[in-house]
Amino acid sequence: MDDTESLKARIETLEKQLSEVKELLKKQVETTATKEEVKAVKKEVEVAKKEVEVTKSQQDEWKFYDSTVHLGGYAQVGYASDDPANDRFNQVQYSPIFHYQYKDLILLESEFEVEIEGDGETHLALEYLTIDWFMNDYMALSAGKFLSPIGQFRQNLHPGWINKLPSAPSGFGHDQAAPVADVGVQLRGGAPFGNNMQANYAVFVSNGPILELNEDGDEIEAIETEGFTSDDDDNKLFGGRIGFLPIPNVEIGISGAFGELGLPGDTGDRDYDVLGFDLFARWRNLDLRGEYVKQEVDGFAGSVAEEGQEWEAWYIQPSYKLLPTKLEAVARYSDFDSTHADQDQQQWALGLNYLFSANAIAKFAYEFNDGLTGTDTDEDRLFLQFAYGF
Amino acid sequence: MNILKNTMLISLKIVTLLILAVPVLSTAAEEGDVARGSKAWANNCSRCHNMRDPKEFRDDGWRPIIAHMRLRAGLSGQQARDILTFLQSSNYTAPASSGSMTKVAESSGEDGETIYNNTCIACHGADGQGALPGVPKFSERLSKPDDVLLSNITNGFQSKGSPMAMPPKGGNPNLSDADIMNVLSYIRENLGK
Repeated sequence: MDDTESLKARIETLEKQLSEVKELLKKQVETTATKEEVKAVKKEVEVAKKEVEVTKSQQDEWKFYDSTVHLGGYAQVGYASDDPANDRFNQVQYSPIFHYQYKDLILLESEFEVEIEGDGETHLALEYLTIDWFMNDYMALSAGKFLSPIGQFRQNLHPGWINKLPSAPSGFGHDQAAPVADVGVQLRGGAPFGNNMQANYAVFVSNGPILELNEDGDEIEAIETEGFTSDDDDNKLFGGRIGFLPIPNVEIGISGAFGELGLPGDTGDRDYDVLGFDLFARWRNLDLRGEYVKQEVDGFAGSVAEEGQEWEAWYIQPSYKLLPTKLEAVARYSDFDSTHADQDQQQWALGLNYLFSANAIAKFAYEFNDGLTGTDTDEDRLFLQFAYGF
Repeated sequence: MNILKNTMLISLKIVTLLILAVPVLSTAAEEGDVARGSKAWANNCSRCHNMRDPKEFRDDGWRPIIAHMRLRAGLSGQQARDILTFLQSSNYTAPASSGSMTKVAESSGEDGETIYNNTCIACHGADGQGALPGVPKFSERLSKPDDVLLSNITNGFQSKGSPMAMPPKGGNPNLSDADIMNVLSYIRENLGK
């Protein structure tokens, strides 16, 4: 009897174990892949790998390219209050700069100037447009309309987020003493040498400026230097600038140009010269900047406007960063002398800037102007300006 | 004005000669170098404008900007490549979770002074007094313990009142922990007073 019970128990145990084995086998069959299945999985892995490679390549594509496009520029908005009182929000200006670059060989750069004028019209101008060929490490050839390399203010310092005051120095505005732009070809470059020294240069051949007569047509009123695609007198202007940096953060520049200019109806042309000096120096938080420029046209016997003319201007501008605050104090004295007394101006400008960042600046400034009594050049002015470079 | 005319003519002749000579003298273009780039960046960009933070633009954004600035500032091609390399090496932010470097580099084997002169001197100056506006004197910063300073150097740091942050590892991704320790020791011993 005992043997029977024992046998029964063993059978039950064996049955249970058999059932477990069956269950295990079933699961194993479910989880074991066939050769075909393995092959299919391998194929899927290969496809996935390729997809990952493509995705990575797409993610990295912006790192490896021949051509690139970039939009930069600056904008400025402002408020002015003149003495005698004339308060207005006087400035809405936007200057987009487009860059198109092909490898390290070609760069197209252009800047528009879009500005709301007093009568509500929108002024649109092509500030510059050049196609630049980087010939080698020391020279680039630019052709088109370029900012004048005479001095520094017009070519490098006039954008609102760079200029530390809301206005240009006296004589450095449009149609004053400092040439603004020109159309032609220009060679630019630079090189370091010695122990921490550097030099840079620009030489150009261009159409040159145009002389503007007064209303009576018997006197030269102004000289227009905006850059023209016409050259009625057929004389080219030759000029350039050489900058020298004897130590870091000190730059001395000399610039000039010469040529001949004509007036319609004249039997010949008169000499034209421009000369410029510029200086920059920094010591700790203090920047010092100064510039001198003079344009001169000779007289010409028998001309509709026989007399020669001169336009001469200079400025000096110290500025000091009041660290650790975000404030910067700036002062500037500028002087503009013209053969026409109503254009002359001596100006003190004092300003306090708040730098939200390196390229976003709020400016508060006051100009003390001394010019011909009763003219715009004699009016003092208060300025508020916000400028943003991007 | 005759003097001016003569000076300009002579200058034009000199430049013409240089133009003719340069193709002969030109050598193969070198890759950009972070150490040279940091110096060229510190010495040139703020001549006209406030220093822009390297983090303002992506690598591809800096490329046309530097080509534009090469023309504006009268830089050589090599200086432009060096500055571009420096900016592209300095425009990332170290992950906040990382107590250490984002990329572990092998020790350069250079001593602290060499590393300082190659990587740090452009902004901090040879005397540690700060070569750019807003860069603090080391004497005002070295009271902090080593682990804080090492973290600041490794991950980048913006001092109060400074217009921009120091990039991680001063913009030189090749610096290792050992290099940073060496340069910190050099700064403490020589520039902290």
